[in-house]
Amino acid sequence: MLAIEAVSFRHTPDGPLYRFDIDVAPGEIVGLTGASGSGKSTLLDLIAGFLTPLSGDIALGGASLLGRPPETRPVSILFQTDNVFEHLSASANVALGLSNNARADDPAVRKALAQMGLETFSPRRAADLSGGQKQRVALARTLLRNKPVLLLDEPFTGLDEETAAPIRKAIADLVTANNWHAILVSHQKEDVAALASRRYEIRDGRTHPV
Amino acid sequence: MRALTGAAIAIAIAVLIAALLLALFIAGRTIPTTGSTVTGVARLVGMSAIQAALSTLLSLAAGIALAWSLDRLRFFGRGFIVGLLSTALVLPALVIVSGLVAVWGRNGWVNALIEPLGLNAPSIFGLGGILAAHTLLNGAFSGRIFLDRLEAIPPDKLKLGRSLGLSAWRRFTVIDIPAIAGSIPGAGATIFLLCFTSFPIVLVLGGGPANQTLEVAIYQAVRLDFDLGAAVRLAIVQLVVCAAIIIPASSLSPAAAFFGRRSRYRWPDSRAVTATQTGILSILLLGFLTPLIAVLARGMGPALAAVLAQPNFWRALWTSLTIGTLSALLTLMLALGLGMARALEPRQSLLRTALGVPVFTYLAVPAVVLSLGFFLLARFIGVPTSAAAPVVLVIANALLALPFAFATLNPPLEAIARRNKKLIRALGLSSTAQWRRIEWPLLGRPIGYALAVAFVFSLGDLGVISLFGTSEFSTLPWLMYRALGAYRSADAEAIGAILLVLSLSAFIAIPKLFEVLTHARD
Repeated sequence: MLAIEAVSFRHTPDGPLYRFDIDVAPGEIVGLTGASGSGKSTLLDLIAGFLTPLSGDIALGGASLLGRPPETRPVSILFQTDNVFEHLSASANVALGLSNNARADDPAVRKALAQMGLETFSPRRAADLSGGQKQRVALARTLLRNKPVLLLDEPFTGLDEETAAPIRKAIADLVTANNWHAILVSHQKEDVAALASRRYEIRDGRTHPV
Repeated sequence: MRALTGAAIAIAIAVLIAALLLALFIAGRTIPTTGSTVTGVARLVGMSAIQAALSTLLSLAAGIALAWSLDRLRFFGRGFIVGLLSTALVLPALVIVSGLVAVWGRNGWVNALIEPLGLNAPSIFGLGGILAAHTLLNGAFSGRIFLDRLEAIPPDKLKLGRSLGLSAWRRFTVIDIPAIAGSIPGAGATIFLLCFTSFPIVLVLGGGPANQTLEVAIYQAVRLDFDLGAAVRLAIVQLVVCAAIIIPASSLSPAAAFFGRRSRYRWPDSRAVTATQTGILSILLLGFLTPLIAVLARGMGPALAAVLAQPNFWRALWTSLTIGTLSALLTLMLALGLGMARALEPRQSLLRTALGVPVFTYLAVPAVVLSLGFFLLARFIGVPTSAAAPVVLVIANALLALPFAFATLNPPLEAIARRNKKLIRALGLSSTAQWRRIEWPLLGRPIGYALAVAFVFSLGDLGVISLFGTSEFSTLPWLMYRALGAYRSADAEAIGAILLVLSLSAFIAIPKLFEVLTHARD
């Protein structure tokens, strides 16, 4: 279980105070909605370790993640954009999920790309891929890393339905198959409805189960 | 109206440059060379190219290391240091040279420290000194550009890299280098041209004919050998070489980037890497700051009072300030006129390209060549050099500062046009109302910065004045150069300190003043 308990945070000393309480079961995708600037991405940044809470705890399977830097947290992230390094090939991008020095032709990299239906795109520069293909490259890397927490920050925004639908399915399959704990931030209700089993809304700086 | 004004400015500059070039070519055919001591042309071109290539490589390497370190480190005074780097390109080169001599010269600080140990610092005169001075100025210039690029990396890219656990080296190669790679060719081409046409640095630190550049040889032919024919031939060679460089370089992305969006996410490196960055930054800043500190420390000594007592100094100061102010205002008008007209034109328009061409005058026609063109033009139309000098200095310095002012004003002008063009037309705002209500409040800081660049650029010019300066008509850099030539080094140091204080004050105060005047906000 991923448990965010009484986590509080302020961006500036006189800024609004956020307080978050959420839990996510293994293999579950929880939706997070709210108005722009309500604090959705702030919560993801707290879980990933990019921000440090004022109080409360973030724990996975009973073990606190606080105090661990982002690079050692069991977390993968999928943003709306900037999920790939444009000058690298698709396979080199995926290889970064293995280690700093992993080779782009590593069999594990090839396998992950194949699972995402990207075998033929392997040598192509990420800059030359479409938006949907870039997201699938990022998913292949996420699959390779196999971290138990997956944070999805508006990953379908800007994609048309035809492109978004197979990516949504791939995410749902990966989360179920690997027992990941996933949080989906989206302002598109259909995305949340299609993927999430439960939903929280952030209002007045607090999480409210819907 | 705006398109007409822009076109008129572009045509006026083109006609002026054409007249100067024509004067050069006519002189080249009619004035015979008197057999001066100027070194062979092939050797001069070769020497200038080798020196410029080495300077460019060193400057880019120093700039990348500087930007990398400054991007990661946070410390008290960082903002001031970053601001100081922005002044590197316009700081009077003669002042930098004077500072380098004060630190590395025979009687400099370094020798004073190591002589008791039986050691001697390498000579600052010759190729080593030229490379050091060029790297110092252009390394800071490129460092500022690269820092802008690093600070504009999208925060999500940094978060992704950190979440993937990229090592410092992988972060540098996967995130940092791609971010700055786009500006390396443009910055490199600009630095190469600046070093290829370098004048005061080579003039003072060259240490003889072995290290001459074409610019210095032209100056020598006119002022020392009185061989106008040789000077004109060298100027034509210089023009051809510069054009050969600038034509392919103009397709590269522009070097200036002062308006990048700042990334708010910080990802500090490990302690060992931070220590390396601190070491690099300390060495580079020591190299950049000590000459400036030396200029102030030596120049503010007893010689200052003596210099302040000379009527010559006050005349030169008044001339410098007047010419600096007038040429800065002229630069601003030209840059705004061209920029506003250009912003109206679609991306692929021919007129848009044509409006950008005059901006490159400085890089295509270097200061001494421009000055020589004006010198000859004045002779051909029968205007005494002494009468033409003030007007020439104002116009030439304005043209020389134009690329920098244009690079500052063009991006915000384009952004305003892109964002508000339809709304302005829908509201039926007149050109005056558009300027007063929309552009002026938004352009306060860039206008102040463009004015400061142009003013400081003109204040420190030695290239144009070098052919027009006399004992009666003098600017501060010319007065300083004459003091150096007459071995009155204490006087030169005092004038250098005053020039440095004036330049830095103007660079800080003018943008602030305009920010307040326009109530500009981010």
